[in-house]
Amino acid sequence: MEPASRLDYNHKLSLREFPYIVRWRDDRCKRCGRCTAVCPVKAIESTVKVQRLVHSEGPAPTPSAARKVIQVVEQVTDMERYCTGCGSCTLVCPNEAIEPEFNFQHKFYHYKNKGGEPFKRGGRRNDPSVSTLDKLKFTRISMLTDPALDAGRHEFRVRTLLGRILPPEELPLKTVGGKLTVDKESRGFIPPVREIYPIMIGSMSVGALSPPMWEGLAMGVAYLNEVEGLPVVMCSGEGGMPPRLLRSKYLKYFIIQIASGYFGWDEIIHALPHMVEDPAAIEIKYGQGAKPGDGGLLMAQKVLKLIASIRGVPQFIDLASPPTHQTKYSIEEAVAKMIQSMSMAWGFRVPVYPKISGTKTARAVLNNLARNPYAAALSIDGEDGGTGAAYNVSMDKMGHPIASNIRDCYLDLVRQGKQNELPLIAAGGVGKKGNLAANAAALIMLGASAVSIGKYIMQAAADCFGDEYNRCNLCNTGRCPRGITTQDPKLYRRLDSDRVAERVVETFKAADVELRKIFAPMGRSTELPIGMSDGLGIEDKAMADRLEISYVC
Amino acid sequence: MSAKKTVKSKRSKVTPPNPPLGKGGKKEGVTIHGSVKGSRVPSRILEEQIQRAVQEGARELHVVAQGQHGIGGRIWPRSETVKLTVEGPVGQRLGSMGMPGTEIIVKGSASDDIGWLNCGAKITVLGDVTNGAFNAAAQGILYVQGSGGARCDTMTKHNPRFEPPQSWYFRNVGDSFAEFKAGGIAVVCGVDPRNPDNVLGYRPCVGMVGGTIYFRGPIQGYSEKDVRLVELTPQDWEWLKTNMGPFLEAIDRSSYYKELTRSSGEWKKLMAYTPQEKRSRKWFKMSASDFRKNMWEKGVGQGGIFAEYLGHDLTLLPYITTGKDRRNKPVWANEKYNPPCAFACPTHIPSHKRATLIRQGKIHDALELVLQYSPLPATVCGQICPNLCMNACTRGRLDRPLGIDKLGSLALELAAPKKESPTGHTVAVVGGGPAGLSAAWQLALKGHTVDLYEAERKLGGKVELCIPRERLPHEILQKELSRFGEIGVKVHLNSRIDRKKFEEIHGSHEIVVVACGAHKPRGISFPGSEHSISAYDFLKRINSGNKPALHGKKVVIIGAGNVGMDVASEAYSNGAGSVIAVDIQKPAAFGKEMEVAMSKGTQVLWPKFTERYDNNEKKIYFKDGSSLDSDLVVVSVGDVPIVDFLPPGIHTEKGWIAVNQIGQTSDVKVFAIGDATQLGLVTHAIGQGRIAAETIHYQLMHAPRWPEVKQVISYDRIKTEYYDVCRGEFASPEKEADRCMSCATCRDCHMCEATCYWGAISRVEHKDGSYEYVVDEDLCIGCGFCAGVCPCGVWEMVENV
Repeated sequence: MEPASRLDYNHKLSLREFPYIVRWRDDRCKRCGRCTAVCPVKAIESTVKVQRLVHSEGPAPTPSAARKVIQVVEQVTDMERYCTGCGSCTLVCPNEAIEPEFNFQHKFYHYKNKGGEPFKRGGRRNDPSVSTLDKLKFTRISMLTDPALDAGRHEFRVRTLLGRILPPEELPLKTVGGKLTVDKESRGFIPPVREIYPIMIGSMSVGALSPPMWEGLAMGVAYLNEVEGLPVVMCSGEGGMPPRLLRSKYLKYFIIQIASGYFGWDEIIHALPHMVEDPAAIEIKYGQGAKPGDGGLLMAQKVLKLIASIRGVPQFIDLASPPTHQTKYSIEEAVAKMIQSMSMAWGFRVPVYPKISGTKTARAVLNNLARNPYAAALSIDGEDGGTGAAYNVSMDKMGHPIASNIRDCYLDLVRQGKQNELPLIAAGGVGKKGNLAANAAALIMLGASAVSIGKYIMQAAADCFGDEYNRCNLCNTGRCPRGITTQDPKLYRRLDSDRVAERVVETFKAADVELRKIFAPMGRSTELPIGMSDGLGIEDKAMADRLEISYVC
Repeated sequence: MSAKKTVKSKRSKVTPPNPPLGKGGKKEGVTIHGSVKGSRVPSRILEEQIQRAVQEGARELHVVAQGQHGIGGRIWPRSETVKLTVEGPVGQRLGSMGMPGTEIIVKGSASDDIGWLNCGAKITVLGDVTNGAFNAAAQGILYVQGSGGARCDTMTKHNPRFEPPQSWYFRNVGDSFAEFKAGGIAVVCGVDPRNPDNVLGYRPCVGMVGGTIYFRGPIQGYSEKDVRLVELTPQDWEWLKTNMGPFLEAIDRSSYYKELTRSSGEWKKLMAYTPQEKRSRKWFKMSASDFRKNMWEKGVGQGGIFAEYLGHDLTLLPYITTGKDRRNKPVWANEKYNPPCAFACPTHIPSHKRATLIRQGKIHDALELVLQYSPLPATVCGQICPNLCMNACTRGRLDRPLGIDKLGSLALELAAPKKESPTGHTVAVVGGGPAGLSAAWQLALKGHTVDLYEAERKLGGKVELCIPRERLPHEILQKELSRFGEIGVKVHLNSRIDRKKFEEIHGSHEIVVVACGAHKPRGISFPGSEHSISAYDFLKRINSGNKPALHGKKVVIIGAGNVGMDVASEAYSNGAGSVIAVDIQKPAAFGKEMEVAMSKGTQVLWPKFTERYDNNEKKIYFKDGSSLDSDLVVVSVGDVPIVDFLPPGIHTEKGWIAVNQIGQTSDVKVFAIGDATQLGLVTHAIGQGRIAAETIHYQLMHAPRWPEVKQVISYDRIKTEYYDVCRGEFASPEKEADRCMSCATCRDCHMCEATCYWGAISRVEHKDGSYEYVVDEDLCIGCGFCAGVCPCGVWEMVENV
């Protein structure tokens, strides 16, 4: 029991240390309690305050005191219940009486380490500044010099190839009776290639995402393919795939990820004989942009029936994904044997490619892949990539910006004359400020064949509150107020998968229009301007030099 | 745009910008050659010649062209018609910017952009037109005997000041027809088309926002987001038939009139969607829910990809939920927790309940309640207890704690409560000190037969023997001991227990409670310590009437705890000149003992390690080299129990009887409480007596549980804001009861009920007079406002699982 002769403010934190300060308006509040009921972290609560007023009304001092006890909504000063600024309270308040306000002077990181446990969170790098991707401009506008195209009038075919594209001379072809046919006796291998939309939905697992979120994205992707004819693909993330989907015809729109925990893979293998379609590709995860060099841990309390069944594990156990695959000891071995195994599982009919986090060593990986005939692509996830759960230090300080990383890799391929052979997939911060198509186009023109999005689609399709001021970012706690990254039905039943699907469709259709608006003035309508860096400019000399693009001002 | 029955070129009344240069020109038969002596006339010169001829009065011009640009346009309107016939290879943009009154007939095919930006000229081409015909035409007519090239009729518009432009194509048109068409009427007759499968070319009408296209014959698609394909209305058909004649006549194909007007069913119309139609258009070709139903679930199964794993409804939930869908729910946890006072009291006397009873006007019940917990409330609570309850009292955090000590004193005159009917169980209590009295009292109240063995000739233990009468008036103790006598405990005084006697008692009782206290003073050994006296003996002698003669003497007490302070007070009371208490560390004394001793002049010195006492010098020396004059040295470093009567089966540790949390020794039928187990306050002894008695009661009555001690409520749940600061001393039990904040116990104030915006809380009164506050689960949203406003911290929010 605490002593009755208590200390008062000793070691009590002031609200000024908190990242968000809840502005509550007494004059507007009707005390309905919606805000406190909805707050995901119980950062606000109802309490009472006493107001005391002494007044004197007579011609001489005639003091009289009046007390009033009023009911208020108060922010707690407990770092374990800090206001994340999500704004659920504002959302549900009928009277606009409450709103969290970002506090630039906060000292949140100084304190968020209770018990010696560093701050963990979801989201992406908390850097709200304008990224390199957003600084890139498309400076080649053809009106009279190139065949200028009209984004609205001309027909466009914004597509990219996922898979290794052999140069014609290496294709095992022969001429028979004046016709080109595959030379089946040459034993040459024609790598599988998929024609896909150049923006794909990146790996977010069943488990990291709630059922309606994952299914909403999956439905949106299926809709885009089936109804809109837009061949968007989506990566499963590590954590398996629902068997119903594995056995459906829609599997062809999905890339299945395998990572160091191999979760769900025995279930996937069991489903193999029942598959009516091949998946779009297999992604081998070696790293991710949000937490380079770090693994993942799905807490036991999130491993409920759904997750356990799909991942093929018992319920209520911790699921650790180590930072590295456990049986791989060198680039050559790691990449070669994983790519071989995964290719073999689908009879070498499915493109298999690794994903790494943005790193200075990306080129080493790339050069290794360039020599591997079964490598279908290389996916690089830059430092701005998002995630469901990671240490803040990994998210904020680790990794490599995607722009120069992808550029270096592309130019390396160019030097080897292989820029059209091995596609590069860029990710990490695409659409961070909402400029999905512009960021995607910039990366494509720097050399990417495709880009991958994660956080952006959560925001665009499911109204994720998260931002780079560390707003919300509760993904790791299972208390996502939007129902995106939680396994709690009370929360995820707030999310309508139909609505998510609808928003995915709208988002991609809009991005498609924007991509055309960007590509049309450059005269590109049928072929993606991969590496067409003469169309890019930047108002920063150092960046221009580094990316080998033109400096404009 | 509605069809017009007749269309004719309007003649502008505008005066020509430049008057004619002269009137000498011939009215007819002017021929202008685009090539003179084998040399091509530049477009600029040909234009000058045409303009001059018209200004000079020519109204019919014959141009033999040689690829010149823009022939026949820009002839400013006048009251007469200017006719041009053009032959030979014409250049681009024939008739461009043509004005009303200009009529051009091309005898053969024309090049690109014919009729470009036409402002009213009527142009007839007796052949084909190539790309871009009628581009940007705003008024006027184009008749084409053959077919159109690509991108014809693009960007045509209709200026409301004039009739809309018309373009007529006898055969077909090429790709990208009518892009961005904003007005005007196009007619494609589809006679002998060059592409028999598609008379409108590839992707017509992209970006078309206005105007009408009538066509006849097969097409292969059009921009569906811009235009719609419809049947002709009777008005359309009428217009078409009316205007078809002049067109066919102009292009010398009147013989087709019958074929082309034989059936409106052969014709179709393309018309632009209105902006309203476009805006109200559905974004989705198929709604997401239709997609789910008709495609997705057909592929993956009913309920979607996760349905087989989800045990809940697949419906949506709002953010504000009630019932089982709430994330948290309130619980009226009345008396679930101990208030700080009851928790801090080793006996857990519920003082808050006394306050409640007083507030209900039941003062007698309130005062009597304490007797259920302690046989000595006036003695202990009222006099010698440091009142841990009051130290903990929440009210003390606002002004001053509740006067619980006074409430104890007020219980002095009360008779013993009624005891339960006899159970037949027998319990022996060894020791009649506070612990033994407490246990015996509780057990007797519960109806058990209790034998109490006391070594001394009086009950009371150290309370009787050692506590200065000054601090505890003897009559209070005696009064309460006499009340103890009413309870029916068989008291055996002067019964010192030895091993044999203990075995006998052990054999004859179901349970034995050892409450023998600590009556062996602990000594410390230093040269001269044989001349010192223990505090135990010092105090015991005084209380038994054997007062020491200390007039003017100097007393040094080794050990400045509370007993040391009692010694100091008694020494002064017996005439001592000065009393100094020394200790090796910061003195542990506190409370009334220290207050009294200090008020009498006791000095405390520390740290002081005793080296020796010189009885001759009457001086005590310390290891730091200092010394004090000392006629009497009293050693007050505590007492230990005398446990030689215990059998080996009862484990002791360093001289103390080892017990578990409920006071049980290693022999399950033997309990030990009070100072026999560990030195403590009298209140601890009373508390242990009660707890042990309760445990024994459960054990004897075969109750399948142990008595539990409720957790304490945290201070921050008590809303002190409701109470005004109120200084001043204890006035009356009633006033004091009003000050009680009723921690963890509902005070029935209705704050929760009044606060709940959703009207989810109500008060329910039961037949026995008790009440509770209940929550309507279907109304409650789990906001926690009830918990936030409850003055007593009774409401608590829990996870709704």
